Amino acid sequence: MSTVDDLCKSLEFLQGTLEVLILRSLHAAPNHAYGISQFLERQSDYAFAVDNGSLYPALQRLLQRRWITSQWKTSPNGRRAKYYRLTPLGRRQLLAEKSKWMRFVEAMSRVLAPER
Amino acid sequence: MREWWSKVSQALHRRRGFDDDLSEEMRAHLDLITDENMERGMAPDEARASARRHFGNLMTTQENTREAWQFPRFETVLQDIRYGLRGIRNAPAFSLAVILTLALGIGANTAIFSVVYSVLLRPLPYPHGERLVRLGESAAQASGIAVTWVNFQHWRAESTAFEDMGAATGADFTLTGRGDAVIVHAMLVTPSIFQLTAMTPVLGRLFTDAEDKPGAAPTVVITPEFWQSRLGGDRNVIGESLELNGTLYEIIGVLRPAAKYLWRSTDAFLPLGRAQNPAARRSDHRSIRGLGLLKRGATAAEATANLDAIMRRLAQSDPGPEDDHRSYVAYLAEETTGRDLRTTLLILMGAVGLVLVIACANVVSLLLVRSTARAREIAVRVAIGAGRARLARQLLTENLVLALIGGALGLLVAAWCLRTLIFIGPRDIPRLTGATLDLPVLLFATTISAAVGLLAGLAPILNAGRVDLTTTLKEGSPTSGAGRGGQAFRSTLVVAEIAMTLVLAFGSGLLIRSLVAAQSADPGFDAHHLLAVELQLPRSRYFSDDSVRDYYERLSQNLRAEPGVQDVGLVMCPPGAGDCGDIWYSFLEKPTPTRDDVPLSLFNIVDHNYFRAAGMHIIAGRAFTEADRAGSVPVTIIDEELTRHVFGNPQLAIGKHLKVGGPYVDGPTLEIVGVVADVSQMSLDDPHEPAFYYPFSQKPDSAMVVMMRTSADPAHSTSAARRAVSAVDRNVPIQSLRTAEDWLGATLERRRFATLLLGLFGSLAIVLASVGIYGVLNYWVIARQKEIAIRLAVGAPRSAILRWTGFHATRLAAMGIALGAIGAWGASRWLKSLVFGVSADSPAMMLLAGAAVIAFAAVAASLPVWRAVQTDPVRNLHEA
Repeated sequence: MSTVDDLCKSLEFLQGTLEVLILRSLHAAPNHAYGISQFLERQSDYAFAVDNGSLYPALQRLLQRRWITSQWKTSPNGRRAKYYRLTPLGRRQLLAEKSKWMRFVEAMSRVLAPER
Repeated sequence: MREWWSKVSQALHRRRGFDDDLSEEMRAHLDLITDENMERGMAPDEARASARRHFGNLMTTQENTREAWQFPRFETVLQDIRYGLRGIRNAPAFSLAVILTLALGIGANTAIFSVVYSVLLRPLPYPHGERLVRLGESAAQASGIAVTWVNFQHWRAESTAFEDMGAATGADFTLTGRGDAVIVHAMLVTPSIFQLTAMTPVLGRLFTDAEDKPGAAPTVVITPEFWQSRLGGDRNVIGESLELNGTLYEIIGVLRPAAKYLWRSTDAFLPLGRAQNPAARRSDHRSIRGLGLLKRGATAAEATANLDAIMRRLAQSDPGPEDDHRSYVAYLAEETTGRDLRTTLLILMGAVGLVLVIACANVVSLLLVRSTARAREIAVRVAIGAGRARLARQLLTENLVLALIGGALGLLVAAWCLRTLIFIGPRDIPRLTGATLDLPVLLFATTISAAVGLLAGLAPILNAGRVDLTTTLKEGSPTSGAGRGGQAFRSTLVVAEIAMTLVLAFGSGLLIRSLVAAQSADPGFDAHHLLAVELQLPRSRYFSDDSVRDYYERLSQNLRAEPGVQDVGLVMCPPGAGDCGDIWYSFLEKPTPTRDDVPLSLFNIVDHNYFRAAGMHIIAGRAFTEADRAGSVPVTIIDEELTRHVFGNPQLAIGKHLKVGGPYVDGPTLEIVGVVADVSQMSLDDPHEPAFYYPFSQKPDSAMVVMMRTSADPAHSTSAARRAVSAVDRNVPIQSLRTAEDWLGATLERRRFATLLLGLFGSLAIVLASVGIYGVLNYWVIARQKEIAIRLAVGAPRSAILRWTGFHATRLAAMGIALGAIGAWGASRWLKSLVFGVSADSPAMMLLAGAAVIAFAAVAASLPVWRAVQTDPVRNLHEA
C-alpha cells in the first residue's frame, strides 16, 4: 500500500506501533501530519516509510481516545496547518507504551540474536 | 442515554464540518510538500504532481479516516434505515401489506395483553399486595367458607406465619333521620383492616382496638364518597351522629379519597369486634372474611399448615360440630380474579398469540418472496464486496424498520381496541377499566415488534446467505433463488397457517355454539314481561316476622291493583341472581349419610304466588298455598335436580321429609309437598344445582324481590312500581328495579365477551391465512409459469395442469388440516371450562371448522390455480 518510491527498502509498521510512534513524535513538540511523517522517517533513518492512508486514521483514533488534541495554526513558513499536541493522558499513555515496547524489543532481540 | 444522544446529534452536526476540515488539512499537507519540492528547484506544476504522488491515494485516506471517526457503525445503521425507508417507498404495496398485517397482529396482542396485565398481573394497589391472602375455613364439602369470629381470634393470637391479620363482613344498614331513608352499605372491620389496605383518615381518626370490643361506644368511619354525597362534604361532621338501624353511631373519621376498598363499594366502616356476641361458639358463622399479611418469605401453603395445626388443637380443647374444619388461605391477587376469568383471559391471550404467529408467517413469506425478487441486487452487492455480516445487518435493519412501523401503527390499533374492549367488556371483570397502554404494555408491544422483526427478518437472511452468485447474476430471471429449500419453507408456512387457523376456527366455533346454547337454554320460567323490584326492609321498622309479612302482603295487593299488572309473586333470590346461600340436607326416609358425605343444596324463599307468577312448572305435588301458614306443618318444595339423584321419580318425593342441616347440624324438618322444574339460578350457562324452597309465610325475610308479571313491556310499569312501594312506606328504599331478562342476560356477559373476542380472532386468522395461502400459491405458480407453458406447448391438456397445481394446493391443505385437528384436540381440553351445551371435543364442530377452513383455503387457492390453467404458452415462451 505504501506509495513511497523506495518501497522495497522500507519497513511495514507492526500492529499498534504507528500510534506509539506518533505519540513519541509529539512528545518533542506539537506538529502537523506532514511534520509527523517527516519526523518518523528522519528519526528511523528512512527505515520507516509513513503511509498517509494509515497516518490519518491513526491520528483520528488518537484524537478519539483523547490522547492528542488538534488546533489550526500557522507554520513557520507562513502556511496554515493543523497541529497535533499531546494531552496529559497521552503523555501517560506514551510512558506506558514505551516501556512495553522496550521490553518487547529487548525480548525479541534476545531470542533472535545468533549467539548467546 | 442522554450522553449517547448528544454524541449522536453532535456527530450528525459535525459530519459535514469533519469532511471539510479533513480536506483542508490534506490540502495543507500537499501544499507543504509542494513548497519543499519548489525549494529544491522543481517547477510549480512538477512540484505539485510529485507531492500528489508522494501523498498517496487521497480518497482512500479520507475514507479510512472517516471510518476511524466517531460512530461509523451508527452511520451505517442510519444508512441502512434510510435504505429501508427508500425500499418501503419503492415497493408500497408490499410494504403496506407487511405493515398492516403486523399492525393488526401486534395491535390485537397489545390490547389483550394490556387487559391481561391489568386484570391478572398488575400488583394489587396495597402495600405488600403480593403477600396479602384471603383467609377462610374449609370443610369436606366446601373450601373457602367464612371463618367464625372465635376461630379468627385464635388464628390471630396463635399463628406464626402472619405479620398481621384482619377480618371483615358486609352489612347493610338503614340510615334514618336525614331525609328519606337510604340503605348504607357498611363493612364491619377490625382496625387492622385499615393498615392492611392502606386506608388513612383525611379528617378525624380511625377506630382503636378498644373501640372494637363488645360494649364499646358505637363509632363509624365514613368514606369520602358517602361524606360528599350524603353529608355535603361538611368538615364539621366529626362528632356528629348517624342513625343506623335505630342506633346512633358517632362519626369519628372520614377516609382519604385515594383509598381502594377491598370488597364492594362501601359507605361506612364500623368496628367488627364490637358487634360480636361474647358468648358465641366456635361454630357460629357470621360470614366473616379474613385477610392476612404473610410474613416475608412465608408461602400460602406454610400459612395453611400453620392454621390447620391451630384448628386441630382447637378441636381437642374446644370440641364442637365443626371439628373437621380446616383453614383456607389463597393469595388475594388470584382470588379477586377468580379461576374462570383467569382461564378465559389466558385462552384469549393464547388465541391472539396464534393470530400474531399467523401474521408473522404471512410476513415471513412476503419477505421471502421479496428477497427472492431481490436476489440479483443482493448478488451484485456480494460481488462488489459486501460481507455476509454487513448484508445480514442491512436486511435485518430493513425488516426491523418495517416491524417497528407496524408496531407503532399497532399501538394505534391497540388504543382503539382497548377502548372498545373496556366499553363492551362485562362490568364484573375486576380492574378491567384500569387497563391502559402504560409502560409495561408499551414494553410488551416494543418487544414483540422487535422480536417479530428479528424472526421475520431472519428467514430471508438465511436464504440470502445461500445466494449462488454465478447463477443468479447470469440467469438474472426474477424467479432465480426460488430454490427447492425456499419453496419447501414457504409450504411449511402455509401448512402451519392452516393448522393454526383450524385451531382458532374450532375454538371460536365451540364458543359460538355454546353461546347459542346458553342463550336458548330454557331458564325454567317465563322471563318475558317480568319486572323484578328488589327491596330491603329497614330492620328498625320491620323487626317482627309479622310486620315483614304484613308489609309484603300490602305491597302485593297494591301492585296487583295497578293497571297492566297481571300477577305478583315474592322470591328471595330470583333466577340469575346467583347464590343466596346453601346448606346441608338429608332425607329422613333415606339412609343417613356419613359426616363427610352430607350433600349441599341451595335454598330459596318464595310466597304462594311466585311459581304461578314466574311461570314455573310444578312437576309433582302442589305449589305453596295460603294454607301453609306460620303455625301449620313446615313444608318445602324441592326442585327436579334434588329429586333426580335420590328419588328418581319426582312423585316418590311427595310426602317425604327433608332435614335442613343434615343429620349432624340443627335444623327444621320439612315435609315435601311438591316438586318444581329447575331454573337457571346461577346463570344460564351453569349446570343446575339442587335447590329447595321455603314458603315465605313460614320463613319471612326482610329482603325480598317482588316479581310482577305485566301484560305489556315491563319497562312501562317501573314508575307504577316505584309509586306503589313509596305509597306503602316511603322509608323503604328500592335496591334495584329491572326486568327478569336483564337479570338473566347479565349472567351471559362474560360468555358474550369471550365469544365475541375469540370469534374476532378466528375470523382475523382466517382472513390472514387466506391472504397467506394466496400469496404463496400465487408465487409458486409464477415461478413455474415457464414450466407450465412448456408442458402446454408439448401437448399437456389443461386438465393436467389443473390436477398438478390442484394437487399441490390440496396436499398443503390436507397436511395443515391434519396438524390443526391434532392441535384443536389439544386445545379442546383447555377450552372445556368455557364450553356449554356441546361436548368440548365435538366431532361435528371439528368437521364444521375443517370445512370452513377448507372453503376459505379453496377460495384463496382458486385464483393462482386459475392463473396456472390460463397460462398462454405462446406469449409466455416468447417473452422468455
